[in-house]
Amino acid sequence: MSKKIIILIFIFANLFTYNATANEADQVKTNSEDFETTSIEDEVYDPFEPVNRAIFSFNNAADRIILEPIAKGYKKLPSPIQSGINNFLSNLRAPLIVVNQLLQGQGENAVQSSGRFIVNSTVGVFGLFDVAERIGLEEKQEDYGQTLATWGVGDGFYIVLPLFGPSNLRDTSGMILTMLTDPINAYAVNEGEAWLVPMRTAVNAVDQRSKIIDEVNALRDNSVDYYAAVRSSYYQNRNAAINNVDDSELTPLPLISIEFE
Amino acid sequence: MRIYFLIFFLIFFNFKNLYADETEKWLKREIDIILEAYKNQNLSNENRFLLIEKTINNNFAGTGIAKFVAGEAWRKSDKNTKKIYIDNFKRHLALNIASMMQGYSDQTYELTKSKYDKKNQVTLIDMEIFSDTGSVVVTWRVKESKEKFFVIDLIVADISLVVTKRSEFNSMLKKVDNNLSKFNEVLFDQNQESYQKITE
Repeated sequence: MSKKIIILIFIFANLFTYNATANEADQVKTNSEDFETTSIEDEVYDPFEPVNRAIFSFNNAADRIILEPIAKGYKKLPSPIQSGINNFLSNLRAPLIVVNQLLQGQGENAVQSSGRFIVNSTVGVFGLFDVAERIGLEEKQEDYGQTLATWGVGDGFYIVLPLFGPSNLRDTSGMILTMLTDPINAYAVNEGEAWLVPMRTAVNAVDQRSKIIDEVNALRDNSVDYYAAVRSSYYQNRNAAINNVDDSELTPLPLISIEFE
Repeated sequence: MRIYFLIFFLIFFNFKNLYADETEKWLKREIDIILEAYKNQNLSNENRFLLIEKTINNNFAGTGIAKFVAGEAWRKSDKNTKKIYIDNFKRHLALNIASMMQGYSDQTYELTKSKYDKKNQVTLIDMEIFSDTGSVVVTWRVKESKEKFFVIDLIVADISLVVTKRSEFNSMLKKVDNNLSKFNEVLFDQNQESYQKITE
């Protein structure tokens, strides 16, 4: 009898504690300042939404059928191999990062990135090992889209590119500039090895995708409007990159996006 | 006079540190409950999710976030619709966070940095999650209310969960003429689908 009473008391006490805590949680007041946002951020200029949604569906299907399974397979490779591929690809990006840092007037960062490129290309065996990180030369990302934004160029309209994913007019222009000016790609084309260019893009896509398998699935499986969720994520991430507020360079963008190398 | 100033400064400085420590300790305890739930093989998938949902409901300002992400539609709705929406939203939030944390359950983590945002009276705590090939930083936005802490947002790679949800809900609400009652149906269906996936 007494045992039953104790169990009942325990159940009631537990329920009461749960309800009391849940009620306290319900009373917490929030406002837009808490989230550092305004209603303006809800409005992204997306005049071609129907077309974008169609391309997005195609990209999503391509990701499910091709990219995600390959990325999952890639993730099963020994971690030193994955790190080696990632470091090698990051190192190839360095020359254009330096160019963009100079264009944005970030002299100190440009010196640091140049140092990274030299150290990793030599001591780091063609960039396979990130030796520079260990001596305090941190990786920083800059691209033409960020440079144009720094120069005052606006976003333009939102656009979903086939296979390449979310972008906007400014960042697409930046991507084209990357295509035209990347010295590594230009060298490959001059040497008659143009096939290396799409190969590099594809390997980079798999490498980047392998890092965000769980994040993409969490977003995809739990969104009432996956398209809008990806669009918002893209803008938030790009704004942070442009304002250089990102202090987590190692964290890739948790949405499907293929960068042109 | 200088001594008084020094004493005041030291007390204030220590108070700030104690406050940050206390917030971190609380957050670590709650994160561990969620991650341990994933490691506990004795729990069925349904019970595991229910335990996680309970932890999230107790520690997230679910109602406040729900109102914020609903935007204009919230004001136009009646009491009953709002109540149904809050219940739906809380489950939706739990499903989102549970799904995200599931991916981190077999990794190690550290709370690396804690910063108090005076202007918004919010504490930002960075959680670095380590894997063999790199790390991910998740920032928790924590607000104090009546001497208790509550999470008001999660930020991964500079992407706020709440801002993303607001944008997503805004887009879907437009399709149903900002009718929260109709939106509740959409949200309920999505929750059912997500629940199936997380518990299967």
